[in-house]
Amino acid sequence: MATTFEDATAHTEPRTNTLILFLRKNASIVLIYGFIILIAGAAAYFSDTFRTPSNMANILRQSIILGLLAIGQSLVILTGGMDISIDMIARTVALTIATLFAFYESDPIFILPLILLGIVIGVVIGGINGLLITRTHANPFIITFGVAFILRGVNLAISTTPIRGVPKEFLSIYNTKIGLIAVNVIVMAFIWFLVWLFTTRTRLGRALYAVGGSERIARLSAIRVNKTLVWAYVLSGFFASIAGLFVLSRMGVGDPGTAEGMTFQSIVAVAVGGISLYGGRGSIIGTLGGVLLLTILANVFNLIQVNIYYQQLLLGLVVLIAVAAYRSPRTVRSG
Amino acid sequence: MNTSSTKTSFFGSKLSGFRPTPRFVNAVDLAGQWAAPIMVCIVLIVAALFAPAFYNPTNLRTVTIQFAVLGIVAVGQTLVLLVRSIDLSVSAVLALGAVIVVQTQAGNSLIISLLQAFAIAGAIGLINGILITKRGVPPFVATFGMLVFIQGARLAYSKGQASGTVPDLLRTISIEPVGFIPAALIVWLVVNIIFIFLLKYTRFGRWIYAVGGNPFASQYAGIRVDWIMIVAHTICSVLAILGGLVLSGYIGYVDLRLGADYNMNSIAAAIVGGTTFTGGRGNLFGTAAGVALLVLLLNLVVVLGLSIHWQLAMQGLVLVLAVSLQGFRQFLLSR
Repeated sequence: MATTFEDATAHTEPRTNTLILFLRKNASIVLIYGFIILIAGAAAYFSDTFRTPSNMANILRQSIILGLLAIGQSLVILTGGMDISIDMIARTVALTIATLFAFYESDPIFILPLILLGIVIGVVIGGINGLLITRTHANPFIITFGVAFILRGVNLAISTTPIRGVPKEFLSIYNTKIGLIAVNVIVMAFIWFLVWLFTTRTRLGRALYAVGGSERIARLSAIRVNKTLVWAYVLSGFFASIAGLFVLSRMGVGDPGTAEGMTFQSIVAVAVGGISLYGGRGSIIGTLGGVLLLTILANVFNLIQVNIYYQQLLLGLVVLIAVAAYRSPRTVRSG
Repeated sequence: MNTSSTKTSFFGSKLSGFRPTPRFVNAVDLAGQWAAPIMVCIVLIVAALFAPAFYNPTNLRTVTIQFAVLGIVAVGQTLVLLVRSIDLSVSAVLALGAVIVVQTQAGNSLIISLLQAFAIAGAIGLINGILITKRGVPPFVATFGMLVFIQGARLAYSKGQASGTVPDLLRTISIEPVGFIPAALIVWLVVNIIFIFLLKYTRFGRWIYAVGGNPFASQYAGIRVDWIMIVAHTICSVLAILGGLVLSGYIGYVDLRLGADYNMNSIAAAIVGGTTFTGGRGNLFGTAAGVALLVLLLNLVVVLGLSIHWQLAMQGLVLVLAVSLQGFRQFLLSR
């Protein structure tokens, strides 16, 4: 509410400071892309390997998994919730589909049906999340946390060792390239564009913002709050399942460690990208920035060979600083 | 007037047309409060029928010690939940304490390393509290970031190696029997007596309930809301360290997986025991019953000879069910 008021008053001022207005309105996005340019620029200046085109193309391809998860997470966080189960949804999908590939003896005929089945699994789990949250009015964070634990147990029951038997044709999802750029990068760019259209131009997309801003006001504005919330979790499950399938095609085996720790990274990407963790504010473009920033950081860490034990420490530090720098407009206890 | 009221009920959620009778609300409220103790009795009876091995004295002693450790951690988690916050860093703090004590114990006297551990825990709790109150970071995110940071710090510090023997004093505190019962249970009892007294009979305790019940009203009533929340977080971290010391004394060594489940279990125990997420409701008796229920169920999985992954799935299931019940109860009570 506060921003609309500011915007309204700002427009009555002389129009000389359009740039300042733009900067003020999109401060977090400008900041995140500034950071990316800074870090990428420094890395490109100091490292020969970083600035090679193949490394750049690689970074884009590496960002896909986190990107898919972060898109789902953004949609949920925009409604004021959070989905902790996405890494486990991705893993469940990857393991189930790998098991089925092995069962059908890697017959390439089954690739398309199994991809669809994987997506259905993700959507169904997302729907269960959404229904549990809306019907019981429980805290989304904890519900999805519990669902993640259930799925973790299920995944361990499916397999604790890598599952072989993924057909070679399935791997082409990860491998096919046009020149330097992989086809999946182009598809991913298109997905980002579609999601941007979805959040800014469609009724459901705007409803996500409305519900995150204030559930009560959204309800009074004739938005079906529960339906919107369920859709958010279904979409998050959908993107998580695609991420799971993508990991499967990248690894070539059903890896029981699929997407470990990715939930947290997706939340970081969303938060760093400027979407309010209380919901209702922010843009998917910021999330794209967050995803790119995290991927570039991981790439730089690898290039300068930061000890793996320190990588997590650094990640935690980045998060704590990002989180401490961030201030919610709706804090209760600002006194 | 008339039109606006029909509009609300028409476009609102399905539940807004749902008018529960007072008897139904009471029943759900009672179920929320008494679910854990009743379930504990049922599980004990079922155990007697189907798994008599459960009542084996050695097994009972194990269960008691596990109960004590989780009980100590869950007391802190309950305090934090009572002020409408949550602490996801307890598992990391718990393990950190064990690492500090075990690794510094060689050169120093035990007292100094114990003091060191408690001081670090206090500092962590303080930072959590400050991030949440002064910076307006959502509690999930602040403490989750802290979790990643502490885990990273522990990895960087220990270089990923399991290490050291646990000092004798800790072993004594944890497993030496005093009469019938292991000393750990006495530690748990002392902690509980202190905090039950604190919550019931001191101003601080009443403030905690007030802050959780309604932070705005508490602020206007002159309660220093920020300060209460920071203290609650500090107590939670300190109790987590205490739990970690007792746990390491029981296990006898410290490895990287130590205490990983304690986030989930401490939250689940508090929620099962009737503490709600929206704060201000719940007590330590309920938490103790919740702890007992969880520990019994986890132990029964082992005693019944089921595969260990079902422990994870069951923890998740208990959490989801409990959160759904409490969320629904809170929803009914707040209407």
